[in-house]
Amino acid sequence: MPLLEVRDLVVRFRTHEGTIHAVNGISFDLEPGERLGLVGESGCGKSVTNLAILRLLPKPAGRIEGGSVRFDGMDLVSLPESEMRDLRGKEIAMIFQDPMTSLNPVLTIEEQMVETIRAHRGVTMAEARTRALELLEMVGIPQPEKRLKAFPHQFSGGMRQRVMIAMALSLEPKLMIADEPTTALDVTIQAQVLELLQRLTSEAGTALILITHDLGVVAGMTSRINVMYAGFIVETAATEAVFERPSHPYTVGLLHSIPHVGGEDAELIPIEGVPPDQRHAPSGCPFAPRCAWRVEACWREMPSLAPVAGEPVGRVVTSGPETTHQAACHNPPTPEEAAGGQPLRPGFVPAPPPGSDPVAGTPGAPGMSAAAQREGGQ
Amino acid sequence: MTSTVASLTPAAEARASRGLWRDAFSRMLRNKPALIGVFLIIVFVLAALLAPVLGPDGPYQTYPGASLKPPSQAHLFGTDRLARDMFTRVLYGAQISLVVGVVSVVMGLSIGVLMGALAGAFGGWVDAVMMRTVDVLLSIPGILLAIGIVAWLGRGYPQIMLAVAVTNVPIFARLLRGSLLALRESEFVIAARSIGASPGRLLVRHMMPNALTPLIVAATLALATAIIDVAGLGFLGLGPPDPRTPEWGTMLTDARSFLQRAPWLLIFPGLAISLTAIGFNMVGDGLRESLDPRMKR
Amino acid sequence: MLKYILRRMVAAIPVLFGLSIVLFAFVHLLPGDPTRAILGQHATPEAVARIRESLGLDKPMWQQYVIYMGQLLRGDLGASIVTGAPVREDFAARFPGTIELTIAALIFAAGLGIPLGRFAARHPQQWQDGFVTVISLLGISIPIFVLGLSLQWGFGANLHWLPTSGRIDPRLNISTVTGFMLIDTVIARSPQGFFDAAKHLVLPAIALGSIPLAIITRITRASVLDVSNEDYVRTARAKGLTERRVDDRHIMRNAWLPVVTVIGLQVGGLLAGAVITETIFAWTGVGKWVVDAIQDRDYFIVQGSILIFAIIFLVVNLLVDILYAYLNPRIRYS
Repeated sequence: MPLLEVRDLVVRFRTHEGTIHAVNGISFDLEPGERLGLVGESGCGKSVTNLAILRLLPKPAGRIEGGSVRFDGMDLVSLPESEMRDLRGKEIAMIFQDPMTSLNPVLTIEEQMVETIRAHRGVTMAEARTRALELLEMVGIPQPEKRLKAFPHQFSGGMRQRVMIAMALSLEPKLMIADEPTTALDVTIQAQVLELLQRLTSEAGTALILITHDLGVVAGMTSRINVMYAGFIVETAATEAVFERPSHPYTVGLLHSIPHVGGEDAELIPIEGVPPDQRHAPSGCPFAPRCAWRVEACWREMPSLAPVAGEPVGRVVTSGPETTHQAACHNPPTPEEAAGGQPLRPGFVPAPPPGSDPVAGTPGAPGMSAAAQREGGQ
Repeated sequence: MTSTVASLTPAAEARASRGLWRDAFSRMLRNKPALIGVFLIIVFVLAALLAPVLGPDGPYQTYPGASLKPPSQAHLFGTDRLARDMFTRVLYGAQISLVVGVVSVVMGLSIGVLMGALAGAFGGWVDAVMMRTVDVLLSIPGILLAIGIVAWLGRGYPQIMLAVAVTNVPIFARLLRGSLLALRESEFVIAARSIGASPGRLLVRHMMPNALTPLIVAATLALATAIIDVAGLGFLGLGPPDPRTPEWGTMLTDARSFLQRAPWLLIFPGLAISLTAIGFNMVGDGLRESLDPRMKR
Repeated sequence: MLKYILRRMVAAIPVLFGLSIVLFAFVHLLPGDPTRAILGQHATPEAVARIRESLGLDKPMWQQYVIYMGQLLRGDLGASIVTGAPVREDFAARFPGTIELTIAALIFAAGLGIPLGRFAARHPQQWQDGFVTVISLLGISIPIFVLGLSLQWGFGANLHWLPTSGRIDPRLNISTVTGFMLIDTVIARSPQGFFDAAKHLVLPAIALGSIPLAIITRITRASVLDVSNEDYVRTARAKGLTERRVDDRHIMRNAWLPVVTVIGLQVGGLLAGAVITETIFAWTGVGKWVVDAIQDRDYFIVQGSILIFAIIFLVVNLLVDILYAYLNPRIRYS
């Protein structure tokens, strides 16, 4: 049974300037001990999804307006706040991006770690302190006794993040959510912290949701990836499958906008355009304005996740090693196009927005009209 | 969030700052307290302007036999000890408060901005001297400074204006200096310098417009304190030398002696001072919120 | 940390220096004879001669300044021109009254202001917030003298719950030991006296504390709101702590810092406001004394008082800075 089941989750922010549609109906599962990566650019809803799971959305603007979240069989959306509090820190732990601002500057590390432990377990101060020491050793902090009495500003960035990890794992949660844990750190420290995270979650069998915009980070850490864009999950697959056979134009674009060290002189193909303004309710596929593969249907209707070509027919598997590779696209790139980074169909022209010139924009298929071919030649 | 690089061409900049003002203006319109404040200020200014019309007999006119009378149809705010109409006196008092208040703040603003600009632009020992002077001024608590100046230089409008101005100078000087120092190090100024903008151009075109907005807010709020301080001086007997002058604070000294018998001597001038100050404070607060480019909500 | 304290103390010296120069220059730079400036209408020939001698007015300017500084450093603040009594002693006799009033006003302002600010911060943009904003606005907009007179009128004429002038009922005959009425009544073992003195404090403290109340309320609200949006508050909630704990240990512990600074800074304004409050409520303290002296042109009282106020103000600022550094681990341990 999956540890976490998210179904059709909708999150919106109601502000003076309008309603922001942050998450628009996403669904995914997570098995116990599984490591899932949530990838996407700023504003795609990856952090919001996880704040919603823990019901930590900024009040009063942020609200879950649809869908369900089931953790260990319990529905989290309707859970009373006091029970939700029990869960937080104990069953589900979260670490955040900037360890300097995520730790209280006026309390010592000891105070912050001990309060976490004692909030959920009836242990004495001494017992909690011992546990805190153990945890600091576990994450590799030298001289833990001295460090306990220190304040957050006396640590380096990498050390602070280790402390955050130690705090998060102190009660042996079933699920750890790491929101961009290494983005604020130097590259060399990043690797250390990630390695630590990987080792500790494997050893304890903790499930992990790793949120990042950096594909390099998820490559080594996760077994599965969800790619998000504008509040939708646009592709989901095992990690290797996402890298070997990206099946959504956005994913293709992402992979081709990263330079590969030691690779051939592949062109960097930036994704043109900007992310959509999420103050408008989505209509059609949100990636359409920037998509090189778009067809007419893309402007009208948001595609749902569907198994990509080549997947075994039959039941769709949503978690674990047998996960079905799915993409939400009306016109997914072929493997050759994915490798090349752009559509390779002769005479194919991305469908123009509805209401503009109706001549061009017929679905890419061999043997098109002369007019379309002339257009495609540009 | 996608970031937009601040364009440095004058045209684009002018467009950008006008955009900020237009945005602020529309936000002000939606801000109810600020609108109430504007209304109060308009009432205050109208009272000052229309005093001769609404109180045609003038503030010195006495009505024999009608001393210390409560409010009535003939005397809307009652009469004082010398049988003068309080309504007329309060209206004319608005003139005094308006003029003295505005002049004091303008004086304080000018001196303070000059000091702050010199300190912020030149730094070094100029800065040190300016700021030590400001510190000395600040070490004497507010109204004592004003009292000291008026008491020593004698009573009179120029002295009152100077005294109140001097209490404001430190605020403006510090504000401007702080803005200039912060802006000097800010990215867009460094960028402007990197394309070769001269220090003068830098100061006027790039830094001042940004430093302007907190000054406007501070000046509005300073008007509120100026009006209160001027009245305070009057209350302590340091107001305009002519004892017949209808200055709001001076009127309150009389109110003290007749507090139980004639409370209207306190109520109406007291309300006048308070409502005017409330008006300027509300507008100042509204401006501060509207001109803050960071959208916190 | 010690270095920090020393640095701050050293920084205060030039300010005091500057102030002494300003006060010195004031008399000597005014057009006309300095003795005239000092004595004004009290200028009898004997007085003129006395002043000339004690100030050494026939000596060169720099020597006069040295004499002046020497007197100041010895604590000699001169004598009242009117009564001849030494300024220092008269000041010391009256000062406790002002201190008592100031402390009472501060307790009122902080005791009411901090909870109000927190209350408003808990309900941002809702009616509770608006209500508190209005109170804050009234506090800074209604001048002390208007509020003071209104309180006197309200409680004097109509509701006789609270006395409207003086520090204590003179018929109780409490002897002055420390000058602090609340302490002296305890020393005199008079509970009736204690309560009477306390009652006398209420109205003046409210009038004087109205401005600090408004400011403290605002800064508490702003500080709590700012801190509530910080990342570490989110972390605290993510750890599953109760709202109460988040509020006390994470929000308030950090929100205190600016509030403490502001409270300290209010002291200067309170000393200034005491002047007006003491006048209205016939409170025997330094404030009223100084104003009377200004009007009488009793120069040495004014000069001495301003200097002492300035020193107090600077000392309080220094203490506030030290307190802030102590409370903020980032400064304490660096």
